[in-house]
Amino acid sequence: MEVVKKYDEPELVLLLKQRSQHVFSYLYDNYAGALLTIIRNIVSDEELANDVLQEVFVKVWKQIESYDSTKGRLFTWMLNIARNASIDTIRSKGYQNSQQNRELTEDVYIAGGTSEMRIDQIGLRKVVHSLKQEYKVLVELSYFQGYTQDEIAKMLGIPLGTVKTRLRTALIQLREIIKP
Amino acid sequence: MDIKAYIENGVIESYVLGMAEAQEAAELQQLSRQYPEIRKAIDAFEASLEQTALSAAVPPPAYVKQQLFTILADEFAGEQGKVVAMARPNAWGRYVAAASVILLVASAALNIYFYQQFRSTSTAYQALLLEKSSLLADNQNTQTKVLDLYQSMQMMSDPNFIKVSMSGIKGKENSLATIFWDNKSKDVYLLPNKLPEAAADKQYQLWAIVDGKPVDAGVIGACAGLCKMKNIPKATLFAITLENKGGSPTPHLDQMYVAGKVG
Repeated sequence: MEVVKKYDEPELVLLLKQRSQHVFSYLYDNYAGALLTIIRNIVSDEELANDVLQEVFVKVWKQIESYDSTKGRLFTWMLNIARNASIDTIRSKGYQNSQQNRELTEDVYIAGGTSEMRIDQIGLRKVVHSLKQEYKVLVELSYFQGYTQDEIAKMLGIPLGTVKTRLRTALIQLREIIKP
Repeated sequence: MDIKAYIENGVIESYVLGMAEAQEAAELQQLSRQYPEIRKAIDAFEASLEQTALSAAVPPPAYVKQQLFTILADEFAGEQGKVVAMARPNAWGRYVAAASVILLVASAALNIYFYQQFRSTSTAYQALLLEKSSLLADNQNTQTKVLDLYQSMQMMSDPNFIKVSMSGIKGKENSLATIFWDNKSKDVYLLPNKLPEAAADKQYQLWAIVDGKPVDAGVIGACAGLCKMKNIPKATLFAITLENKGGSPTPHLDQMYVAGKVG
């Protein structure tokens, strides 16, 4: 989907800092869908993902003052807010409890052979799933589930150095796949 | 420093994806200001990441945006430099306007309802007024009649009154009328006990026979109880004939109904 830009990024950021409702609405219309995809890569429950999306935009609005354009693009900043909010959500107690009931039905779903159609398998996660298994599992655990490299090393029983190197290699491959 | 190797070691991707450690991130920021190639590599990865995300966008349901803008409603600046305070009256104004329209419609409906109620009540009231005035008139008529009858009764029982019974003559045996003649004032009162209904153009007329000659004692109109006739000072006989309406100067004796001698 090509997005026709009405504002360039410095303009967008300046107007957001001036509390423009119109520009915030424009920002939402252009980026909410892309951010919802990354949220649903992490939070599979549809309604909960919508809640997270709302929370993300409230954070974007409240924290726009702290956005520093020298550190990266506006979308990168929003993407990181979305990822962190999503991981916080799946780490929460309420979510953990609700998932225990879900496991079974999800397994049945996957066993039915339709897992490739699942909405949480699109976008960046779909790209990750095209990586080799040993890389895929690292990106899955670190990026989509928010584990630290230390934790991953212990979980998988491989040295931290190996985790670090493999993860870097995985990300380089990822970059090559999404390169236009 | 081998910039190419640094770019290829994956730290840029790790940084952009928010997975780099704080120290790595600080170092990369420092280097990116120094080396345009590093800056360019960061920009390129960010751009392709954004493009990937945008191409896989899932449109969120409309309510999410509505909720979001409701939550933040108080925080937006007014457009085109309007003061922030304007936002509140506008939101309020919309509710007030909506409430006003509802009230107006409700009020109009009530107006129509009450007007119809008023119309039917008013009609009923007019009907009652009419009924009341006709009852009042009836009542007055009745009172007058009662009064007349009372006076008639007084006269009938007054010893100063001379009563002259006029019975039907031959062929009119069913007819009957009575004269009450005031002995003092000589006023004559008539009670038409039983006389056939006169035709529309006819009227009964009373005659007093004075010295063998008929004297007009007046025509008989509609009266309650006793009909007051003319003053007759002297008479030997009274009689009633049917004459043309308004009475005749001389009686048509063939049209006599009743007659009675005085004394």
